[in-house]
Amino acid sequence: MGRASYKVEGGKMIKVQLTQKDGKIEEIKIMGDFFLHPEELIEQIESMLVGSPLEEESLMSSISALIEKRRAVLLGCTPRDFAKCIMMASV
Amino acid sequence: MVEEWRLLDTGVHDAFYNMALDEATAVARSRNLVPNTIRFYRWKPSAVSIGYFQSMEDEVDISACESKGVDYVRRITGGGAVYHDYEGELTYSIIIDEGHRLVPKDILNSYEVLCSGLIHGLNLLGVQAEFKPINDIIVGGRKISGNAQTRRMGVVHQHGTILREVDPALMFSLLKVPSEKIRDKLIQSVKERVTSVDLHLGREVSFEELKNVLNEGFEKTLNIKLARGKITDHEKRLTAKLREKYSSKEWNFKR
Repeated sequence: MGRASYKVEGGKMIKVQLTQKDGKIEEIKIMGDFFLHPEELIEQIESMLVGSPLEEESLMSSISALIEKRRAVLLGCTPRDFAKCIMMASV
Repeated sequence: MVEEWRLLDTGVHDAFYNMALDEATAVARSRNLVPNTIRFYRWKPSAVSIGYFQSMEDEVDISACESKGVDYVRRITGGGAVYHDYEGELTYSIIIDEGHRLVPKDILNSYEVLCSGLIHGLNLLGVQAEFKPINDIIVGGRKISGNAQTRRMGVVHQHGTILREVDPALMFSLLKVPSEKIRDKLIQSVKERVTSVDLHLGREVSFEELKNVLNEGFEKTLNIKLARGKITDHEKRLTAKLREKYSSKEWNFKR
């Protein structure tokens, strides 16, 4: 199980827990004191990420695309910060 | 004509009831069964609430809470862990339809608008409070109030805390710290970054006095009239049902 915490400068705390297999995400939880509207989208982001390769740019763009598609609002951090923290938890 | 809202002062309840009633009122508002509502409440037993996205096991020292008789609950809103002390903390909630003139589409702006009532109320007490994005109210650079908002079913539901007294050592005895070595450092840093109404004014402010000024603050800044009201039977039934969710392991430990 990989874990990482990442405090966004001037923003919120992100915590990621994940397991990986062959460079891909097998299970993942993204936690922290940020805001995401609607809240339940976090579960959809997590299930979308299962099977994704651990590569910062592609993680960032798929998270960002889903947030945009759902017209969701992420406050206190960015999709880039999520991706960074996921990469930190993968090493 | 000044618009009339309902004021609920629900006194002291446990964590699960408190969270359940907030959600019940939001549901009732979405069905247009109740007016826009501002609620004041306190917590007994004292409790820790965590944000929707937080991990209970990561944030809360469960065994410390249990030995001290402190409840723990997951909120429907994002944000961080809050210690709601029975003596030291007042919670409010605002439940308002999303299309209301007071609600900017932009969520960040809406925090500032809805917090303006609290800020004006604190100013009336002599506490020179100001808004600090994203979701805090500060005085002299120190945090005195944290706020969190969710939007569902066309309703904005914002709740938050106003510190009347603060005890960082007690707070950190209930929250997980990354290591014991830095516990004292964290306590020290909270002492520097957080204040309370009593601490700031150097006198004891009663909950009644605090509620009265906040009441006036909301009425003035939001240009509304608050009329003391009651919880409807529909809200009572819904609260009883939702209380089961908020006291369940499934909800509280879901992340």
